[in-house]
Amino acid sequence: MKFIFFHLMPYAELPDDFPERHRSVWVDIDPSLYDPTKGRQMYLDYLDELEFAAAAGFDGVGVNEHHANGYGLMPSPNLMAATLARNTSDAAVVVLGDSLALYNPPLRVAEELAMLDVISGGRVVAGFPVGTAMDTCFAYGIDPATLRERYDEAHDLIVRAWTEPEPFTFNGRYTKLRSVNCWPRPIQRPHPPIWVPGGGSIETWQWCAETSYVYCYLSYYGYKLGRPQMRGFWEHVRSLGLDPNPYRTGFAQFVAVADTDAEARELYREPAEYFYKRCLHVHGGYAEPPGYKTEATVRAGVRSQVEMAARRGADQPKSGSKAALAGITFDDIVEKGYVILGSPTTVAEKLAEVAKDLNVGHMITFLHFGNMSKELCTYNTKLFAERVLPEVGSLFDDEWEDLWWPSGARTSSAPVRA
Amino acid sequence: MALGRSYLIGAGSGMTAAADLEVVEAGSGPTLGLLHGMLGTPASSALVAVLARTHRVIAPNLPGFGGSASREQRTFYDWVWTLSEVIDRVGLAGKPVVASSVGAMLAADLATIRPDVFERLVLLAPLGLWVDAVPVHDVWSERTPRQPAWLVDDVAALSPFFDDELSATADERTEAELRRYRTRRSAASIMWPIPERGLCDRIHRLRCPVHVVWGGRDRLAPAAVYGPLWQRLLPACTGLTVVEAAGHLLEWDAPQNTAATVLDSLGLPSESIH
Repeated sequence: MKFIFFHLMPYAELPDDFPERHRSVWVDIDPSLYDPTKGRQMYLDYLDELEFAAAAGFDGVGVNEHHANGYGLMPSPNLMAATLARNTSDAAVVVLGDSLALYNPPLRVAEELAMLDVISGGRVVAGFPVGTAMDTCFAYGIDPATLRERYDEAHDLIVRAWTEPEPFTFNGRYTKLRSVNCWPRPIQRPHPPIWVPGGGSIETWQWCAETSYVYCYLSYYGYKLGRPQMRGFWEHVRSLGLDPNPYRTGFAQFVAVADTDAEARELYREPAEYFYKRCLHVHGGYAEPPGYKTEATVRAGVRSQVEMAARRGADQPKSGSKAALAGITFDDIVEKGYVILGSPTTVAEKLAEVAKDLNVGHMITFLHFGNMSKELCTYNTKLFAERVLPEVGSLFDDEWEDLWWPSGARTSSAPVRA
Repeated sequence: MALGRSYLIGAGSGMTAAADLEVVEAGSGPTLGLLHGMLGTPASSALVAVLARTHRVIAPNLPGFGGSASREQRTFYDWVWTLSEVIDRVGLAGKPVVASSVGAMLAADLATIRPDVFERLVLLAPLGLWVDAVPVHDVWSERTPRQPAWLVDDVAALSPFFDDELSATADERTEAELRRYRTRRSAASIMWPIPERGLCDRIHRLRCPVHVVWGGRDRLAPAAVYGPLWQRLLPACTGLTVVEAAGHLLEWDAPQNTAATVLDSLGLPSESIH
């Protein structure tokens, strides 16, 4: 199993009364809340944490893209990946990822990821998310009804830019280029492995199964809620006659380790509550404008709501909704598995359970979350690397090969060197 | 009031924008076109029923609206092109047309490209012009249950759009919900990210007579700002009428008063509708 140390880079100084006084952490968050002096230190700390994780033995380090928010301060993940490519030596650099439809032209993604792949010596994972509605439709003004078509076309352009042997003309519906000639070309051939983060869209897992891209389910509500999506993916894999190689998938999981379960609860309570109550405080109107979801996904969701209403079971707030999160407690966060938290033994057992239940080979772990201090994050990372990784790092290795791992990155967790 | 009949003009009927498009038609008499606002034109439209007392009303639903199939529209001008073809296909070229909200936005832009496409226009709270100091409200950033209050003055007026038949099966209700989703998706697509496409630079070409009607309680695009703006910029504006106690989709809020205003602007006695 591979472990990626993933960082969201949140703004860690939102006021205590943020959920009560502000409508949303995303899109229309008050600009006056951002202090660039504090922001600078956050960036430096977060980059230190990523580099520490790489040196400590994580197989990869990960960054992503979001806009106009205090949840994650990386409008440009490639900027972060650039410094990581230079300051790490053999960990994978997982850009998960560039929101393809937001780049004009999308050729820019091909060029920058190629640069990163060359600088890093072939260690890049190219993550291609469709992007949240907040980022794509509201912050960047993309018509939700055309977002997926733009994404599909951008993907095609990028892959061709990496692989066509000659300069070519691209006649897309949204991008037209007379001469596409990507310099540099990535080290990895035919191109860096492509991973696709998805949040439940039916088309995403179908596409990943058919194209053999890694399907990454990114959600903060634990593996039990992730089961339907992961099982949908595996059913589609099976229907295509493909093998159930766990490295076809990635799964996001918050992790918090301490010497004992009790100590873990004490240490990580505040950052967990900060994340779930402030970082996820998103105005409901921004989440799913009409057209953002495909009709097939809406049909599946709508059908279940109609059925629930028919059974008079629709009164409970949807899990993860603002209404549900408003009442969330730390006990909920732990008991529902939103954060896998406890002693190294507890955490190792839980992670193994998650990996086997969902058949996931790439565990995208968040060992920093909320307003966690650098000191605590370093402690979490070191303890995880020393006491958890050795217990679970070899899961699946006897049976499956990771065919979706960057060729220039190390292929087994190195011992702690920090 | 009699219900309109609804039929489909199908793919393969010579239109580039071919898709199964629903057309609502009612009444007899001189032809009058109706282009919908954000929620399409249902066969049960009260405005259609009132106008149908004196006119043959033809109300096409553009792709994704009402019972029309969806068709991807890459840009705003795909929408305008589709409208152009639909106008010709259903026989509205050279006829008077009433257009609402997003339908009016498309009709106005089409009329700058084809100045003779309409005999005259009655625009109900048209979108397409923009005032920075008083932006058209971003209704699509509101949570879905709160959106109706931005569209009409009395949300009960939208019950024909939102309410499912009590006796409908779960499958029927699912399909009805999907129809509403497609309609909202299409309306959002025309407007996204803001409902302005440079009409202010072309509006001088909109030469046919235009009467502008606005709901006095329009929260989306305030009448006090946008009504006079349209009146000022249109080269052949015949007047601006404000229908009180009506929101943005005034044809849903106040079909009788809206119809009376339409008929008055067409030079027809509005007493005929009572």
